[in-house]
Amino acid sequence: MSFIEFVEGPFYTVAMTIFLLGAAWRVIGIIRIGRKKDISPPKGSAAAGFFKGNLRHFFPRGIFARRTWLHIVGGYGFHLGLFGLMLFAAPHVAFISERITGFGWPTLPRWGFVITAEIAFAGLIVLWVRRISDPVMRLISDWDDHIGTWITFFVMLSGCFAMQESHVFLRATHMLLVNIWLIYFPFGRLMHAFTFFLSRGNTGATYGRKGMNL
Amino acid sequence: MIERRPLPFRSRKAEILTHQTGIKRLSNIFAYARVIAFMLLSATWLIVETGQSDAASHVRAPENAVNLPVDDGPPNTLGTRSDGEIWSDIRHGAVGNPSSSSASGQAIQSLGQDWRLLRENYIVKYAGWFPVGVIGLLLLYFLIRGRMKIASGRSGKTIPRFTLIHRIAHWFTAGVFMILGLSGLIILLGRPVIVPLFGHEVNSIMTSAALQGHNLFGPLFVVALMWMFVKFVRGNFFQLVDFKWIFKLGGLFGGHVSSSQFNFGEKSWFWLLMIVGAVMSITGLVLEFPWFFEDLRLLQASTVLHGIGAVTLICVSLGHIYIGSVGMEGALDSMLIGEVDENWAKEHHDLWYEEVTGKSAKDDTEEGAST
Repeated sequence: MSFIEFVEGPFYTVAMTIFLLGAAWRVIGIIRIGRKKDISPPKGSAAAGFFKGNLRHFFPRGIFARRTWLHIVGGYGFHLGLFGLMLFAAPHVAFISERITGFGWPTLPRWGFVITAEIAFAGLIVLWVRRISDPVMRLISDWDDHIGTWITFFVMLSGCFAMQESHVFLRATHMLLVNIWLIYFPFGRLMHAFTFFLSRGNTGATYGRKGMNL
Repeated sequence: MIERRPLPFRSRKAEILTHQTGIKRLSNIFAYARVIAFMLLSATWLIVETGQSDAASHVRAPENAVNLPVDDGPPNTLGTRSDGEIWSDIRHGAVGNPSSSSASGQAIQSLGQDWRLLRENYIVKYAGWFPVGVIGLLLLYFLIRGRMKIASGRSGKTIPRFTLIHRIAHWFTAGVFMILGLSGLIILLGRPVIVPLFGHEVNSIMTSAALQGHNLFGPLFVVALMWMFVKFVRGNFFQLVDFKWIFKLGGLFGGHVSSSQFNFGEKSWFWLLMIVGAVMSITGLVLEFPWFFEDLRLLQASTVLHGIGAVTLICVSLGHIYIGSVGMEGALDSMLIGEVDENWAKEHHDLWYEEVTGKSAKDDTEEGAST
């Protein structure tokens, strides 16, 4: 079995299994904790607050937007860029179609891929640089934050290195890092991809039940 | 005065046509040889030829084979001039009209060879030694001079020097610069350095990866450069006080040198980065999108300027990295936390310290030293 066959075969299967089971375990675990029963009479809808809390957090409030514009631009740039690459890069669509869904969808042209990757990289670098440059961010950051950032960075970088699709080794390296990323994902803060809506929703539901306007 | 005239032009097609014409002539001789069979040599040749023809007759042509029409082409395609004369004319810019294609104008020129020789014999050959030399000099300087300490020690009080946006702009540019520098060196020095050490396959993989990374991060450097200019241009204009800094060699060998927010070395690095960085950005974009530029000379000049500019920036950046980290106590604080120790500010940027705090750096230094 060659290196590429291993990382795209059994290792990928194991990594994906750990990712799915681990992520489900974490999300179900959080949901099972539940919320402390609030015996006060409700002044508004907790369910509506849940959704409003989620939507409202996508748009920063005025004074915060002015002070944290770079964080906002970097954050949106990175996350949208990453999703664009993950879901619409031609090699990814081909892989997902072949291994998971059985069908494909329109892909980004090469120039679109490059621009999306540049936006994602710029956003990720800005976010990490802010993490080490801002005294408060540096204080509240730990190894998990840095490891998550750097694994994601190397996954993206190795993917771009393999963009020419001229060497199997580069593709295999990318897949190896993807597998490591998948295994690490459920056990660190990368899980925020699946839990952010719960925390935002919890806050929104709490305030919504109290009748507060978010 | 160089005579510009159509050159006899060798092409693959012309060679094939010439070859076919030659075969026809030989066939006539063979026919004549059959008639005058008394010529032994010709007869022997005929026997051999007949044998070959018999052998050829056993090769069956495909059923759908088609005999294509043969174009005899223009006569005298080889001309009467020697290769040396032809290449001499080409080197002097002679324009030729290819006889067997629709191309016109100067189809062959030696500029590419000149460029290749310049690139391989000078740029690729020596480029790698400059960063190595700079690293060696810095190591030597560090061994002799050691780390520049804050003479009066840390005061424990800090003053803000760079805002968060300044620091993010700096580290963003630094990060992109390092990726471009490493990938660029792999592209430039793959053959002379990686191939002898790790072989062609490894070089091929690394160069392919580096090229993709370099092309991807290149446009980000353009953005970073503009961001750096906007955030740092203020305070980087040269002043009279910078002459004193030059005469004292920036205090590298001791002695106090006055400077404002940025000293002469920092200002020079800033403008070098801006000017050479702009050249790198323009030439880089030309090389990344070569199909927009028809003039080959522009692409060739771009590779030369890009290579020289890259080595220049890498070498100077090594000095910048050294003095901003291990070379000088307290310097890294300004870019990590945005604040510097007051005593550091008094020693290295006394005029800026006085401007920011409204206090005299000299009096305070003496006070600090006496306590």
